[in-house]
Amino acid sequence: MTDTAAVTTVEAPPEPPGTSAVRWVRDNLFSSVSNTLQTIVFTFILLGLFRWVLGQVFAEEADWTSVATNMRLLMSYNYPAEQLVRIWVSAAALFLMLGMSLGAWGVDPGTSRRGVARTVTSIGVVALITRALLPVAAPAGIASALLVGGLVLSALGVAGLRFIPRARDRRLSFSTVLAGAAVVGIAVLWLVPFGRYGFADGELLAESGVTVAMSTRVPWTVVLVLVVVFHSIGRILGRRIGAAVRRLLLVFWIVGPAFIIFLVLRDPEFDWGRVARVDVPMAAGFALGGAALLFVLARPGREELARAVGALLLAFAVFNWVAAFFGWYPMLQKARISFLLVALAVLVAPTFAGERAVRLRLAGVWIGAMALVHWLITGINTPSTLEIAAPPFLGGLVLTVGIAYYVMLVSFPLGVLLSLARTSRLPIFRVLSTSYIEVIRGVPLITVLFFFSIMLPLFLPNGMGISDLAAVFAGYTVFSAAYMAENIRGGLQSVRRGQYEAADALGLTTVQRTVFIVLPQALRVSIPNLVGQAIATFKETSLIAIVGGFDLLRIANSTIPNQPDFLGQKRPALLFISVVYFVVAYTMSKSSQRLEARLQAGQAR
Amino acid sequence: MSIADQALTDDLAGRRDMIVCRGVKKWFGDFQALSGVDVTVKEREVMVVLGPSGSGKSTLIRCINRLEVHQEGTIIVDDVELTNDTRNIEQIRSEVGMVFQQFNLFPHLTVLDNITLAPIWVRKRPRVEAERRAMELLERVGIPEQAGKFPGQLSGGQQQRVAIARSLAMDPKIMLFDEPTSALDPEMIAEVLDVMKDLARGGMTMMVVTHEMGFAREVADRLVFMESGDVVEVGTPEHFFTAPKEERTKLFLSQIL
Repeated sequence: MTDTAAVTTVEAPPEPPGTSAVRWVRDNLFSSVSNTLQTIVFTFILLGLFRWVLGQVFAEEADWTSVATNMRLLMSYNYPAEQLVRIWVSAAALFLMLGMSLGAWGVDPGTSRRGVARTVTSIGVVALITRALLPVAAPAGIASALLVGGLVLSALGVAGLRFIPRARDRRLSFSTVLAGAAVVGIAVLWLVPFGRYGFADGELLAESGVTVAMSTRVPWTVVLVLVVVFHSIGRILGRRIGAAVRRLLLVFWIVGPAFIIFLVLRDPEFDWGRVARVDVPMAAGFALGGAALLFVLARPGREELARAVGALLLAFAVFNWVAAFFGWYPMLQKARISFLLVALAVLVAPTFAGERAVRLRLAGVWIGAMALVHWLITGINTPSTLEIAAPPFLGGLVLTVGIAYYVMLVSFPLGVLLSLARTSRLPIFRVLSTSYIEVIRGVPLITVLFFFSIMLPLFLPNGMGISDLAAVFAGYTVFSAAYMAENIRGGLQSVRRGQYEAADALGLTTVQRTVFIVLPQALRVSIPNLVGQAIATFKETSLIAIVGGFDLLRIANSTIPNQPDFLGQKRPALLFISVVYFVVAYTMSKSSQRLEARLQAGQAR
Repeated sequence: MSIADQALTDDLAGRRDMIVCRGVKKWFGDFQALSGVDVTVKEREVMVVLGPSGSGKSTLIRCINRLEVHQEGTIIVDDVELTNDTRNIEQIRSEVGMVFQQFNLFPHLTVLDNITLAPIWVRKRPRVEAERRAMELLERVGIPEQAGKFPGQLSGGQQQRVAIARSLAMDPKIMLFDEPTSALDPEMIAEVLDVMKDLARGGMTMMVVTHEMGFAREVADRLVFMESGDVVEVGTPEHFFTAPKEERTKLFLSQIL
């Protein structure tokens, strides 16, 4: 029984036929009369469309200083200028962690020296085409910049392709590409005269033809440099202690943004006396008590006891909420939440039961989770120190991205639960989840949003308020979860019967079977649909504009055109936010394709 | 009854009952798949179940670890009767290994993780120990070098051997095989049968549904012939292949041999 593959001399595949540009064009664009005709017709249509877009961009009535001046508004709405460093710290944290994650997971889109040369050539050629189609109204500076830049880049690119023969082509690591991009980015920041724009004390400040303001240039430079550094750190740590780093990064991506929003951006003013008297002891109590409970109850053989205690705790936790609804006795909201969490943790403890080391880790995870939850809730419940003219402290791109991110993050587990309930054997779960999904899917999103922003506050228990943004967020989440559930159900149906039987035959419990066998396979299949939905969610956040939030769309469509300096200027800002939406959505779509390929690589059948 | 048969019967009579089926009946809708099956498998016995397709062989062994639920009669596995009580079902399933025709390995886990998953989460063994045991088992089925690969990267025969190792990792008292070689290319059948023979020699209690007559003749202690949900005849391989009693058995054997 040996499994050595037969050793034969393997013949190398023949060299691919020369793929020179001329040859490619002949083979693919002008191979026959009809092909040639189509190529010409569609080239004209494409160029015409491009010409039209350029006409819009450089139309005489389009005042692009409206976008440039309001950049801060578009990005962070009316976040106080003197506190802007908080925005920078947050953005930097996200970028750095993104770089570190890319490194830790070893993401490498893979390119080569010739690949870079090709990209440079294409950018140059596109710049030249743009110059050729530029309307007469366009400023002379831009026209000459496009001409010179286009010529230089295409010359550089062609030279690169000429002087790096195919045989000497070398792969470029992602670190190199990233570092190169950072260098280019920094050079552009410091050399290109974008112009300085802004409002200073309500006065319009517009200085075209100078490089960007120091307040933007320096932070971006720092961020770009640090991203490269953190990517390398992530790569090194990923190789040394991969699993641990990746787990920490995952924790960051789940709770980090909440900390950024509620603790960094909102800057709560803690009452330290109260924190020491009430908050810390309570957090410690739940952390240590829960940890002890989990440690004791997760011992193999105590499953029955754990379930009984869990059920009891759950009953108590639910009773707390009922009591809150009728106002029977006061209790801090976070105590109610903590009791519920303890109950749920104890209920699932038997599933993850094990020897001492396993249980110690379980207890450790619990303590960490409690610390994070209590810190966060305390932060949210503490009044903010920010002095903001209009109440929502989030707006612009920060709001769009924040809401979209958290809607996806929260609706995902909800969707998983709903889809499992819908495919469950128990009729009550099936009926509940099916009706939820069908009702939500039968109602327009905008209705759900109105319902949550106007009606929800009326249903809440005494003394419990909800901010406008939280209500909108809840509405989005409820809506998105229903669609998530249907996408995941598609994946669940693709898991073969034999997988269930094999898991059963090994004695796995239903929860273990679901968590270890069924869901991982189902989610893999659902990735394209889930990403499609994530993109939809991201774009649908623009409906916040209708229920009162100041997101990108609202600012572009109504705030800027109402400023005395830019009365009626809608087109530039709308074009600008379209580009922002497109860039984000396209990035998501690209990354999902890469993720799919990566997950499928190991287990092709 | 020959002397050898008599000796075996005496030997088996002295052993403990591992699987007892009494009057087991099972319907799929209106179709009766099992119509009162009585079979007893003794400790360390290898029992091969034969029969034409649709005769209820697979249904019978799937009832034994309750992948199918029988409607009438009793099934007792290792002195525990199968009822609707979930807890004893999971316990019995962890004592009874099952190997499927389609392997049913978990495609998203490596070979090693396929094998260690149940010992870690059902048996609550430390990961290190579970992995050591998994490597031993992979050694035993002859493919330790494949531990880090995914099932999709293995041949059918290798996958089925991993499936056997996965079942063995739970240290089962009984192994059920549901046509383990039927989905394999001919050149891979032998490598799987070798592992099974090895297991039988090691004293495992086995119930095997198969069409491999060579394996049945060489390894089985007793054969069961089933048709239309009934047990037609039970006996030693010698009895079956030399002097089967029932007409239906003779007909089936003449078609297959």
